[in-house]
Amino acid sequence: MRGLTASKTVGLLAILGVLIGLFVFVLMPTFYLISFTLTQWNEVYIDVFANPLIGDTNWQQILGYLGFSLRLAVAAVIIDFLFGIPLAYFLAYRRFPGKSFLEDIIMLSLVIPTSGFGVATLLTWTGLSGIGGLIGRSVVEVTYVVPLMNVPFLYLLVHVALTFPYVVRTLQGKLEDLSPAFGQASRTLGASAFTTFRKIIFPLAIPALFSGGVLAFARSLGETGATMVLGGVMPTAPIAIVRWVSEFKLATASFLGFLLIITATIAILLVDLLLQKRSVFRMPRWKFVSKVGKCVLKVEKKLSGRPKWFKDVASLGTLFIIVILPIIVVLFSVGVYWSADPDTGRVQGGVIYQLFGPSNYFNTLMRATLTSVYVAVISTYIAACIAVPSVYMIKRYRAGGLLRYILRVPLIVPSSALGLSVLLLWGPSGLNLTTPGIWLIILTHIVFSVPVVMEPTIAAYEGAGIPSYEGVARTLGATPYDAVETVSLPMLKRGILAGVILSFTRSLGETGATFVVMGSDVTVPPLVVNMVEALAFPAALFASAYLIALSLVLLILFRFLVRK
Amino acid sequence: MPEVTLKNLSKSFAKGRIVAVDKVDLHVKDKEYFSLIGPSGCGKTTTLRMIAGLVEPDEGEIYIGERLVTDLPPEDRDIGYVFQQYALFPNMDVWDNVTYGPTVKAWEEKKRERIGREMLQMVRLYDRLDAVPQELSGGMMQRVALSRALAAGAELLLLDEPLGALDAKIRNELRYEIRKLVKDLKLTAVHVTHDQAEAMAISDRIAVMRKGHILQVGSPYDLYMNPEEIFIANFIGESNFLEGKVSHIKDDTAQVSLRGDLEVESSNIKIAKKGERAVLAVRPEAFELAEKTQKLGNALHGVIERIRFEGTDIRYEIRLVNDDSIVVVRPSLGGEWFEENDKVTVGFDPEKSHLFEYPEKGLRAELELE
Ligand SMILES: Nc1ncnc2c1ncn2[C@@H]1O[C@H](COP(=O)(O)OP(=O)(O)OP(=O)(O)O)[C@@H](O)[C@H]1O
Ligand SMILES: [Mg+2]
Repeated sequence: MRGLTASKTVGLLAILGVLIGLFVFVLMPTFYLISFTLTQWNEVYIDVFANPLIGDTNWQQILGYLGFSLRLAVAAVIIDFLFGIPLAYFLAYRRFPGKSFLEDIIMLSLVIPTSGFGVATLLTWTGLSGIGGLIGRSVVEVTYVVPLMNVPFLYLLVHVALTFPYVVRTLQGKLEDLSPAFGQASRTLGASAFTTFRKIIFPLAIPALFSGGVLAFARSLGETGATMVLGGVMPTAPIAIVRWVSEFKLATASFLGFLLIITATIAILLVDLLLQKRSVFRMPRWKFVSKVGKCVLKVEKKLSGRPKWFKDVASLGTLFIIVILPIIVVLFSVGVYWSADPDTGRVQGGVIYQLFGPSNYFNTLMRATLTSVYVAVISTYIAACIAVPSVYMIKRYRAGGLLRYILRVPLIVPSSALGLSVLLLWGPSGLNLTTPGIWLIILTHIVFSVPVVMEPTIAAYEGAGIPSYEGVARTLGATPYDAVETVSLPMLKRGILAGVILSFTRSLGETGATFVVMGSDVTVPPLVVNMVEALAFPAALFASAYLIALSLVLLILFRFLVRK
Repeated sequence: MPEVTLKNLSKSFAKGRIVAVDKVDLHVKDKEYFSLIGPSGCGKTTTLRMIAGLVEPDEGEIYIGERLVTDLPPEDRDIGYVFQQYALFPNMDVWDNVTYGPTVKAWEEKKRERIGREMLQMVRLYDRLDAVPQELSGGMMQRVALSRALAAGAELLLLDEPLGALDAKIRNELRYEIRKLVKDLKLTAVHVTHDQAEAMAISDRIAVMRKGHILQVGSPYDLYMNPEEIFIANFIGESNFLEGKVSHIKDDTAQVSLRGDLEVESSNIKIAKKGERAVLAVRPEAFELAEKTQKLGNALHGVIERIRFEGTDIRYEIRLVNDDSIVVVRPSLGGEWFEENDKVTVGFDPEKSHLFEYPEKGLRAELELE
């Protein structure tokens, strides 16, 4: 044995390279934010708890924002469950024309640029341009707060629209994987359809429901773009971070970011723990439970006989109202506002005037588009270079499971906290390699793009049974490298492409993190927010429609690739 | 009384492109152990699932006892169903699985406990009641599934390849156990399998299906001794098929001239007319085998091409003088002993052969499984 052969050395170096890339680009910023808060504790403490001027006002504010964000996230997840569970059930068990279209719409919610969607929702529900036009007055005021949950109605609407796909998709996937024999066995043993769902299907799907719920929770906790558009009724924690960063209150912002990351992590850990202890879900065997149980059984039996379309219509209707309607309204309104404000008739309130008039938003928009595309291309490319080899490592090595687990972190870190982490690590106060601007945006987008590219690739890898095919290629005389190049990469191509498109779309639409790190290189989604804040509503309208149209095109492309 | 009657039952899939079950009429008697057999894809499972209410028929009627159940959901049909893959609920232990039926039917607590205990004791798994399904072996899981189906109180038990996922030894033991349970509890059972030996061993009656049709219904003895179609003569047990022409028919004995003008007799005629092409089916175990010089009834001459020793039996592949090839099976301990290339005489009892008219589509197409 004379040490390593050349090819083995190359292999080891490649693995090392990928690991370093993963660590430096993806994981380090988050950990840096955490360690920053801990190592600079004195500074943070003075700013947050013992400010010489304002005392612990910052701490009070942090508590307020965090509490509000948590309430909003929990409320959104609850509603996600209420309407996502029947929807997932419907999608998993029904065959009907237009089903894949419906699935695309759900997908759309995941990739839609959030600030554009915020504009769409605002337009649909307030003022006279949306549903209000039909009844002659605004449906709700921006400031309307849902009683009991104590969160603004529109916030809740947007958060549900942007988070429910996580619940629906994970649950639907699980239900489709579940052998139909379990449900059938239950039916033949005398249980009605509802009872079967409650006692068999639902308990078996709980892990999926919870992991979908955690993702939805984290996304809601971190949602920035759409929430900012809806204005300052009540700032959420991520919005507070954006504001504090722009006021250079880095210590306070990072402490809030730290708390957000910790909250999301605890949520994920709690759910994992809960899922491992399955016995938590056992019903106790008390006497009175069996009495109540009898009534429940009867009710379920009655309900099962009823026409089942009721719940389908309900969940489809909700889907339409919260997702599709705003998109239609925004696209439609661009036409209405095209030449002049339809209410006042003033040309200054029209899209054309705002785009090409003195403020010349068109120019700004084009520049922002260029920046957006530039960022999306570069960050997706680098992310793919890190993600694809990582898939191999995750699947090949024992420690891969751990790696995959850690890579969930960027997916749940609230995006403005993520932006802050990157800013702290690479920016002037950290390694000082670059200042806010396009490179910092790219570094930020890489972080969440890696897991986004990785997930579909892993799915393709698992679906195609790559290891056995590679094994066959090896027995036929291919070297390991040949096997990867000639067998696995072609089979993974679609998965990788799907991931790349997803990450590209996501990068195009990202608002929260970009806000924190962009400096003067504005991308389109933050531009939309800026337009709204500058009260240039028609321009914002146009930019939103434009963004949404762009993501629709990308989604169609994605669908084309995945379905083939 | 759980007898089962199917009237003109049909089901097709993929917008009518796959006809899984085609106008089936069937009557399963009360307390009968009935099997549905046939090659893969012939529609057995679909038929059984229609009885259970898991598949909705396109047309036709299903009666369980006197009751028309065609439009009832499965939970209202009072049946027990056993799946090939057990389908034990993975989120429940053995006890909860077995008492699931009584629970969802909201039976009295005492009755539920008693039935759960009895059923588990019956399959000798009472000591494993708090195991989760994944900890049990395949055979145990199927026994739990069986007791779960029985605990729900149904008098009609439907089994879809219940032994299909088990290995040979356990399969053989469990099949008798299932039959005994069904008989002890005075149930009616409809058992689907593609294993004809299994069906022969445990059934009171068997229906043979092919391409969505039922070809013949009868006791195992009937199907073996009097197959009504060439396909059945081949599917139940095994047969040699010799092509020829009917040269005489007198009373119930026909004179058949095989290829190469070999003349034999058969006295078991299923539709065959004088002067027409016919197929003579003779089971390998129906042949006698002797040295060339010896005289036998219905004698044919040939050479042993190959011998396979299979333990209980010996299989001889023999090429006849007319170049037809046949298989003869003799008991290993039967006394005679031959070598490859020995010249031999084979003979058979005209009673133990079956004469069929030559099938329109040709013999090969008739024997095809799918
Ligand atoms: N849900 C379905 N959708 C489409 N085709 C089906 C479906 N179920 C059954 N079929 C088709 O109907 C035919 C009969 O199927 P069935 O399962 O009844 O056969 P089987 O006799 O049980 O076969 P096996 O021995 O393989 O279990 C087959 O061609 C099968 O492919
Ligand atoms: Mg079958």
